Amino acid sequence: MIGAGGAGMRAAIEASAAGARVAVVCKSLLGKAHTVMAEGGIAAALANVDPDDNWQVHFQDTMRGGQLINNWRMAELHARESPERVYELETYGAIFDRTPDGRILQRAFGAHTYRRLCHVGDRTGLEMIRSLQDRIVHLGIEVHMEVTLTRLLKDGDRVIGAFGYNRVDGRFVAFKAKAVVMATGGWGRIYKVTSNSWEGTGDGVGMGFDAGAEVLDPEMVQFHPTGMVWPPGVRGILVTEAVRGEGGYLTNSEGHRFMLEVDPKKKELSSRDVVARAIYKEVQAGRGTEHGGANLDVRHLGAEKIKKKLPSMYEQFLKLADVDITKDPMEIAPTIHYAMGGLRVEAETGATTLAGLYAAGEAAAGLHGANRLGGNSLSDLLVFGRRAGAAASSYVREVGLGKIDERQVAEEQQILLLPLSPDGTENTYLLQQQLQQAMQDGAGLAREEKLLKTCLDRILELRQRSARIHVPGSRKYNPGWHTARDLRFMLTIAEAIVRAAIERRESRGAHWRLDYLEKDPALGRVNFIAYNDGGQVKLKTRPVPEMPPELAKLFADTTSTPPASPPPAPSPSKPQQVRT
Amino acid sequence: MSSAPIVLQIFRGDADSTGGEQRFEVPAVEGMVVLDAVHYVQANFANDLACRWNCKAAKCGSCSAEINGRPRLMCKTRVDEFADQEIHVGPMRTFPLIKDLVTDVSWNYEVNKEIPGFTPAANEPVPYRMLPEDTERVYEYRKCIECFLCQDVCHVLRNHDDKSAYYGPRYMVRIAALEMHPLDTRKRTGLLHGKAGVGMCNITKCCQEVCPEHIKITDNAIIPLKERMATDVYDPVVRIARKLNPFSGAPATTDLVEAEASQATGPQRFAVRDVVRLKTRGRRLARVGSVLPDGKLEVWVLHMNGKVQHWDGPKVVRTSDITNNYGPLDEVGIGSKLVEQYITQDHAAEHHG
Repeated sequence: MIGAGGAGMRAAIEASAAGARVAVVCKSLLGKAHTVMAEGGIAAALANVDPDDNWQVHFQDTMRGGQLINNWRMAELHARESPERVYELETYGAIFDRTPDGRILQRAFGAHTYRRLCHVGDRTGLEMIRSLQDRIVHLGIEVHMEVTLTRLLKDGDRVIGAFGYNRVDGRFVAFKAKAVVMATGGWGRIYKVTSNSWEGTGDGVGMGFDAGAEVLDPEMVQFHPTGMVWPPGVRGILVTEAVRGEGGYLTNSEGHRFMLEVDPKKKELSSRDVVARAIYKEVQAGRGTEHGGANLDVRHLGAEKIKKKLPSMYEQFLKLADVDITKDPMEIAPTIHYAMGGLRVEAETGATTLAGLYAAGEAAAGLHGANRLGGNSLSDLLVFGRRAGAAASSYVREVGLGKIDERQVAEEQQILLLPLSPDGTENTYLLQQQLQQAMQDGAGLAREEKLLKTCLDRILELRQRSARIHVPGSRKYNPGWHTARDLRFMLTIAEAIVRAAIERRESRGAHWRLDYLEKDPALGRVNFIAYNDGGQVKLKTRPVPEMPPELAKLFADTTSTPPASPPPAPSPSKPQQVRT
Repeated sequence: MSSAPIVLQIFRGDADSTGGEQRFEVPAVEGMVVLDAVHYVQANFANDLACRWNCKAAKCGSCSAEINGRPRLMCKTRVDEFADQEIHVGPMRTFPLIKDLVTDVSWNYEVNKEIPGFTPAANEPVPYRMLPEDTERVYEYRKCIECFLCQDVCHVLRNHDDKSAYYGPRYMVRIAALEMHPLDTRKRTGLLHGKAGVGMCNITKCCQEVCPEHIKITDNAIIPLKERMATDVYDPVVRIARKLNPFSGAPATTDLVEAEASQATGPQRFAVRDVVRLKTRGRRLARVGSVLPDGKLEVWVLHMNGKVQHWDGPKVVRTSDITNNYGPLDEVGIGSKLVEQYITQDHAAEHHG
């Protein structure tokens, strides 16, 4: 398992239970993966709070949120299986917030018809990662911390291991494995304003791409509507959607609650793409806040509820921005949050297009289509982490160990060592910053052909310059050296994002084209695929998998726009009253 | 905010060299935190400066360091709080240095492996039902982000380097989370008394002062665990037994006495640590503490508070006040919750009968 977030750990647990010998390899210390930052909750149709909820409604919400270019089978499996996965997490020791009668409490979230998000205050990700981590430790699964893998090793067409380095001492390391599960997360770090940590460099997907796997929907990058804006050092840090789920609302500089017009039904709890665009438009129209955002207000909830349900938000604003959110509104603006795109996988097994390579979680694609709903990522990790782990462990029973090709290892060593040679002149951090700025300017929330093409030129130029990077120091815990290799993956993914964004000449979900504001029904029937053609990023299309009639009829009322939402939750479900 | 640059003194060095502070000047930006300044140095002056970080939002606990001598998260420490002072940034000193600000914290992960994990009853129905009032107290422990600042500041680990005697505050918090989990069935008091070494803590509360999650580590985790351990391990019986026989480390179980015969139950022998049932109101269970010279018994009476046992006493009873003797505590197995349940059910049945 490459990656020790929710998906990698859940896959490891499953594979280990099936009798496979498992090693988890991760870039950071165990328990620090990006899953830990998830705040709001995990979506599962338990119907504990709203009894009318069921998997079909969850399925429809997910497909509609994704603008119907999702893989329907993944969305179906996800909606059907997530309740069981949540309950299972409690058997590992997790404890969610509870209803008065002792069941798991669920909260409202954007574009979910019913209150569906199982949560622990605003630290759900921490609860999840710690429970999985404890389980891994309990089962005695082998974990290799602070090891970065940079290349998949192949024997013919089959993936038979991976190669990389130990971050601590810089020694090279090769793993021989009958199967590899890629659970390496996303690539938010390619952008300047992001809620992602340094780890989100797209390296897993980049490795898969290099080895010949297909990358699906790369252009679909999610902006979370609410990131911190001020002060500059915290720009992009996430403000959980739970703030709106608990009843927080958005206002512009004139104090007007603009979501009332944008989406009169769901208001602040519309889907993330809609809310992010609305904020962007307010700022463009000159109604932004002092630092170019909108206000997010929870004062009406009362200090007690804020501190109980949103404790880490309270702390975060107080410490980092000198704002007491019980007394003043939060200033927020959209921030890069999530990659809907990733390795193309088979729904049931997480198998990629390469034999022996599986993917799950954010590194895989298909479930979320053009826009992910809040809370669907944590359930994604569990549902498809488990499936990938199970499929990989049954695959390894059928194959033998491959033979490591020394030439591949030597080639990768050469790539890795290049920046340490004294010849280079470029600063790896500054190149990374320039890439982030280029992507922010050219492939951000609002896109148009001219800007995308400029962005592509800048990426290609940076790629040239990246061959001349020089990093001082040794291989011993040298972040500059680590960044140099990460940058290669980031450039590959950035190119895939931009090339696909140019070709998708329409607006759909997170992909908003100022020069093509409408949806194009023809493009609604295809997914873009980026693939490696002799070292070049090439694009092709694949038809969106067609839903079987019994599922398709759930969308009978749907044309190309998001439908009128299914019956809104009964009024007590709007948790806007202060509970005393 | 002044436009004067921030002056940082950052520790540079690794295990193979002595190392020392290196001075850097970083342009001040409003709201800057120490981690921002370190990143600026890394990008512009020292590409190979080693530091750990992930979330930059105080959620992952990676960027622990000692800032002007105090263990803190770099991402949560504003540079403006130091006004015009130089800011000294160094690695956590309790753990072996790897390089610059990065230390080898692997010992923590090894310790964690020794703690028995969450163990629900095999037949506990899923989905779990747990009442809010029972789960609420566990949340505080589960807020821990494993930054290891508490481990860094703990004088047992830091000054005495006694990592073999004490697991440290982080793992007291973890054990507390497991012990207080409403559905956990395992006892870890033996571990606490032994290898985990909760007794090593002498409650200076330094750990809870540095906790970035504001967990009251000493008050709400360590002290309750000490109490729990005292009940289970250093119970009064053992203490009294030790008083009677100061040269023996083991609990004395040889103070047998031929008690006066009760007509109802026939002659009985009572030993220290025997579990008995009292005839008095409530027909409570008790445990023999000591046998007094006049043949009376000092007993400790069992009160169940939910699943938690309290032994009240000592109370002096006559042997004729006792109906049943179930035998030595260890064999009866109070402490194994199944037997405990059996005895309490038995108790209830007898009581109603």
